[in-house]
Amino acid sequence: MRLNDVGGIEGFGPVAVADDAQPFHADWEAHVYAVNVALLRRGVYALDEFRDAIERMPPKDYLDASYYARWWYAIRRLLREKGVLDDAEVAAGG
Amino acid sequence: MAERFAPGQRVRVRVLDAAGHTRAPHYVRGHAGTVVAVHGHHRLPDDVVAGAADPRVEAVYAVRFAAASLWGSGEHSVTVNLWDSYLSGAESSHV
Repeated sequence: MRLNDVGGIEGFGPVAVADDAQPFHADWEAHVYAVNVALLRRGVYALDEFRDAIERMPPKDYLDASYYARWWYAIRRLLREKGVLDDAEVAAGG
Repeated sequence: MAERFAPGQRVRVRVLDAAGHTRAPHYVRGHAGTVVAVHGHHRLPDDVVAGAADPRVEAVYAVRFAAASLWGSGEHSVTVNLWDSYLSGAESSHV
């Protein structure tokens, strides 16, 4: 069982359900979303692989990260693992 | 492709201990629920992520669980989409 599988676990506090109708709260979030859609549609990785990459985040990083920060982590990790980018290229791209 | 279960049937989720990615959340494992819909056939995510050359394509069922059976209380229900492999078999039809 992985860290993301938190259904039914207490202690995280109430789920924030307020809908402010804003899909993104910073430009970088929209960029991460767009990059992921492009890579999925190009077939660089499958949606299941993307979910798996998020779940493979180190537990402490996972808990500290925002929703789209987890996406960004998964994108960079998959691009390295698929051989699309090397470590230096990922580092240079932030 | 035939489905193993039909809406209205009681099914039980296998007690899985997946080391990798799975779409069967731990809180339904071992629990019985009722099939409410069949959502077609889809590649098994566990196989896709494991890099299987030929991932299994299975029926995906919407299975409804009584909240009280999962959490011990609550009048509501929880519906989870579950691949055929996650289900052990039909249960007697008591609710």
